[in-house]
Amino acid sequence: MTAEAPPATGLIDARGLARVAPWLVLIGGVLALQLAFGSRVGFPAALDTFFSDPVDAMGAWIRSNRRSHPVMTGFFTPLTNAIDGVISGFETVLLWLPWYSVVAAAFLVPARVRMWRAGLIAAGALLYTGLIGLWEPTMETLALMSTAVLIAVAIGVPLGVWGALRPRVEKVMRPILDAMQTIPAFVYFLPLLGFFGVGAVNAAVATVIYALAPVVRLTTLGIRQVPPQTVEASKVFGSTRGQILRKVQIPIALPTILTGLTQTIMMALGIVVLAALIGAGGLGENVFQSLSQRRTGRGIAAGLAIVAVAMVLERIWRSLAVLDPMQRTPRKWRLYGLAGLFAVTLAGRIIGSVDFPDVWNLTLFDPIDQVVVWARDNLSWLTRPVNDFLVAGIIVPVRDFLTESAAWPILIFVTGWAMWKVKGWRLAWFGAASVAMIGLIGLWELSINTLVQVVTATLISVAIAIPIGIWAGRKPRIEAAMGPILDALQTIPSLVYIIPVVILFTVGVVPGIIASVLYAIVPGIRITALGIRQVPEESVEASRTFGATPRQTMLGVRIPLAGPTIMTAVNQVIMMVLAMVIIAGFVGGGGLGFETIRALTRSDFGLGFEVGLALVLMAMILDRYTQAWGDRLQPPSAV
Amino acid sequence: MDQTCLEVAGLWKVFGQKPERALELAEKGQTRAEILDATGCTIAVRDVTFDVLRGETFVVMGLSGSGKSTLIRCIAQLTPVTSGGVQLDGEALTSMSEEDLRRVRREKISMVFQHFGLLPHRRVIDNVSYGLEVQGVGKELRRERALGVLDVVGLEGWGDHYPQQLSGGMQQRVGLARALAVDPELLFFDEPFSALDPLIRRDMQDELIRLQNEMQRTIVFITHDFAEAIKLGDRIAIMKDGALDQIGTAAELITKPATSYVREFTKDIPKAKVLTAGDVMHAADGEQPRGSVSLLATIDSLLPDLLTDPRPLAVVDDHGSRMGVVDREAVARVLDS
Repeated sequence: MTAEAPPATGLIDARGLARVAPWLVLIGGVLALQLAFGSRVGFPAALDTFFSDPVDAMGAWIRSNRRSHPVMTGFFTPLTNAIDGVISGFETVLLWLPWYSVVAAAFLVPARVRMWRAGLIAAGALLYTGLIGLWEPTMETLALMSTAVLIAVAIGVPLGVWGALRPRVEKVMRPILDAMQTIPAFVYFLPLLGFFGVGAVNAAVATVIYALAPVVRLTTLGIRQVPPQTVEASKVFGSTRGQILRKVQIPIALPTILTGLTQTIMMALGIVVLAALIGAGGLGENVFQSLSQRRTGRGIAAGLAIVAVAMVLERIWRSLAVLDPMQRTPRKWRLYGLAGLFAVTLAGRIIGSVDFPDVWNLTLFDPIDQVVVWARDNLSWLTRPVNDFLVAGIIVPVRDFLTESAAWPILIFVTGWAMWKVKGWRLAWFGAASVAMIGLIGLWELSINTLVQVVTATLISVAIAIPIGIWAGRKPRIEAAMGPILDALQTIPSLVYIIPVVILFTVGVVPGIIASVLYAIVPGIRITALGIRQVPEESVEASRTFGATPRQTMLGVRIPLAGPTIMTAVNQVIMMVLAMVIIAGFVGGGGLGFETIRALTRSDFGLGFEVGLALVLMAMILDRYTQAWGDRLQPPSAV
Repeated sequence: MDQTCLEVAGLWKVFGQKPERALELAEKGQTRAEILDATGCTIAVRDVTFDVLRGETFVVMGLSGSGKSTLIRCIAQLTPVTSGGVQLDGEALTSMSEEDLRRVRREKISMVFQHFGLLPHRRVIDNVSYGLEVQGVGKELRRERALGVLDVVGLEGWGDHYPQQLSGGMQQRVGLARALAVDPELLFFDEPFSALDPLIRRDMQDELIRLQNEMQRTIVFITHDFAEAIKLGDRIAIMKDGALDQIGTAAELITKPATSYVREFTKDIPKAKVLTAGDVMHAADGEQPRGSVSLLATIDSLLPDLLTDPRPLAVVDDHGSRMGVVDREAVARVLDS
C-alpha cells in the first residue's frame, strides 16, 4: 500500500463535506427551481404540436397509401395475406376436425414422447373449454396464438443465438427488447393498424412484437450458460461452428429456451383479451362482454379458457422439444394412435358429429356472480374506507402537489439527482432528459397522474410481496401452498379479476391499483423467495456456528446476500404495475391508460405514439433506477 | 519418423488491452506485478519453450495462477497466443487457418478436461462417439468404436446412462473414453483428476499408466500435484508465474533442482521411492562390486541389502552389461540432500 495518510483534521473535513454536499446541492436546487418556476406550474405547451404534428402526418400518409404504395403492395400486403392464411388455416382445420379429434390430438402429441401427464393436462384443458360452451372462440384463439407463437419462435430463437454469439449484437438488442416488453402491448396495435389493418393479423403481429423478448433473451442466456469447457471440448474434437451450435449449445440451452417460450406464451396470453379490441375475435370478446355486463362468473370461465389455450400450447411445444429418440413411445403404439385419430376423425365427419355438444353453457361459474354481489352489499364497511383512504388520502393530494404546487423543473431535477446518486452522470442526464421529454410531448399531467398510481401500487405490492417472499423462501411448504394461487393470479387475464374488483369498489382509480397489486405481487414474491433460497447454505451455516439467532442470520446474512435479487423483484413489480395501470384505464383509472384506449378507438396515430413514448420513458427511468440500485447491492466480484 | 511430436517455442500469452507494450516491458526483464501496474495487462504465459517427444508423457506442474491452464489452452489453440509458435508434426498450429486447424484436431488431437466437459443432453455412448460424429463417421461404426473404448476404460454396460447419473470418477472415464475414441496422436489432459477424490484419483492415475503402456500416445498433462507429476510424467516442467523454472525427469528435479522453488516441491517427496539405482550410480572406483541390480530398481528396494553389506552393488542394464556401481555413500548423499 502506498497511499499516504493525509492530516487527520483535513480528512474529517473533506469527508464531512462530501457527505453533506449532495444534500446541499439538492435542497438549494429545489428551492431555486421552486422560486423560479413556482408561479408557472404547468409544463410549457409550446412543443406539444411540434412533436405530434409530424407523427400525425406520418399516420395520415400511411393511411392514404396503404393500398397503392409499392412498400405496401410489395411487402405488407403479401405479408398480411401470408399471416392471415396461417391463422385461418389453423382455424379452419381446428373447426373442421370433430372436437374429440382435437382433444385426442392434444393428448397424442405429448404422449408420442411419453409425456402422459402433459398429454392428459392438454386434453383436459381443451375438454374444459368445450364443456363450458366456449369451443368455437377457443379454437379461434388457439389458431391466433399458435400462429403468433410460431412466428415468435421462428424469429426469436435465431435472434437469441445471434445475440449469444455476438455480444455487440446483444448490446444493441437489449434496450430494444426492454422497450418492446415495457411498451403496453396494445400501443402496438396503433401503428400496426396502418400496415396490417384491423383484425387477427394485426393482433398476431402485435403479439409477436410484445411477446418476442423472453424467447430471445432466454435463448441468449441459455447459450451463454453452456459451460465454456463443454464448448472447448467440442472444439478440440474439430467441430465446426455449426456443429457446436447444433449438437452442443442449442441442445444444452433447450430447457432455458423452453422457459423463455413458456414466458412468451404467457405474454401472448395477456394480449388475447386486448386483441378483441381490434376485432381479432376469440375468447377476448367473451371477456370484454363479461366486463361490460359485470358478469364475474362468465369472465372467469372465459379467462380460464384462455389459460387452457396457453396450457395446451405450452405442453405441446415442450413435447415437441424432446429430441431424444429413446424417449419416444414404441413405434407400434404411435402408429395405433395415429390410425385411431384418423379413423375417429373420418367417422366423425361422415356421421356429422363435429360440434361440441351444448352441455353447461356458461352456467357453471354463474354462482360466483352472487358471491360478488353479496360481497359488494355486505363488505362496504371495508371497501369504502380503503377506497377513500387511497383516493383522498394518498393519490389525489400527491398528484395535486406534483402537478399544482411543485414546479415542473423540480421533478426533472430530482429525477436527475436520484439517478446520479445510484449510478452517476450518464444515467442522471438520461433520467432528467426523459422526464423533460415527457413534458415536451404534452403529457405532463396525465403522466404524473399515472406515475402516482404506479408508485402507489408499487409501494403496496412491495410491502406485501417482500415479507411474503422472504417467508416463502425460508419455508418451502408455504411456497408450495401458495403456488397455485400465484399461478392463477399470473395467468388469468387481468381484465378478468378486474371485474369483481370493479363491482366491489366501483369504477375509479382504486380497482386499477388493486388489480395491479394482485398482478404484481406474484413476481415480487417469487423472485424474493428465490433470492432468499439461493443464499449459499455455507454462509448461513457460518453465521449459525457463530451463534447467530435466526433473526440475526436473516437480517445479517440472508437478506443482504439476497439484496440484488430482491431489487430485481422490485424491478419486476414496477414493470408489472406499469403494464397493469394501462389496463386500469378501462375501469376509470384515467391517466395514460385511458388516453391509449381513446387513441385506439379513434385510430389516433399521433396520440397513441405519444402516449406510448411517455410510457416507455417512464418505464425506462424506473427500470434503470431500480437496476442500478440492485447493482450497488451486488458484492464486488472477483477480477 | 521424427522423434519430436510437439514443439512449443517462445510462447507468450498476455491478457489485457495492451499486449505489445506488456511484451516490450517483459523483454526488459520486468516482473509480472510491475507489468500489471504499468499496462494493466497480465502475463499469463512467459516465453515458454519445450519439445514433447513421440510417445512421451510430458507433465506441466504448477500451482494455481501459474498459467499452466492458459498454457495448455494456448497449445490446443483454444485461446489465441500473443506470440510464439506451436508445431505439431512440423505443422504450425499457431498460423493455421480455422479449417486446417479443424482438420488437425479431428485427425490428431484430443483433450480431457478438469470438469469433464461432457454433454449433459447426450447419453454416455453418444458422448464417447462425439468426436467421430463431427468427423462424419457413420452411425454403426461410431457405435462399435464407442462400445470398444467404453470397455477399455472399464465402463462396459454404462453406455445408455446420462453422464450426470454417473459418479465423478466414472464421468472422467467417459471423458477419457471420448478422448481415446478418435484414436488421437496427441492427448491433452487439463488437470483431469483434480476434481476427484484421492482414492479415485489414484485409480485413474493407475488406469492412465496402464493405458499409456499399451497405447504409447503423446500426452501433455497439466497438474498442480507434484506427486501426480512424478508418478505419471516421463519428463516434468515446473511452471511458476507463467514461466518454466525447470524441465527434467523426476530424478533430475529431485537430485538437481534448478531453483529454490523446485526444491520446495521435491523436499517432501520420498526420494528413496522415486530415485532408482541408475539415478545414483557412479563409475566403479576400485572396490569390487558384488551382485547386480537393475537400472530401474528403486533405492528403497536396495536399502536393506546395502545396510547389511558395505560393499557396492553393480548396476546393470536390460542386457546385463554393467553401467556403474551404487554404494552406501552415494545413496546417503542423495537421501540427505
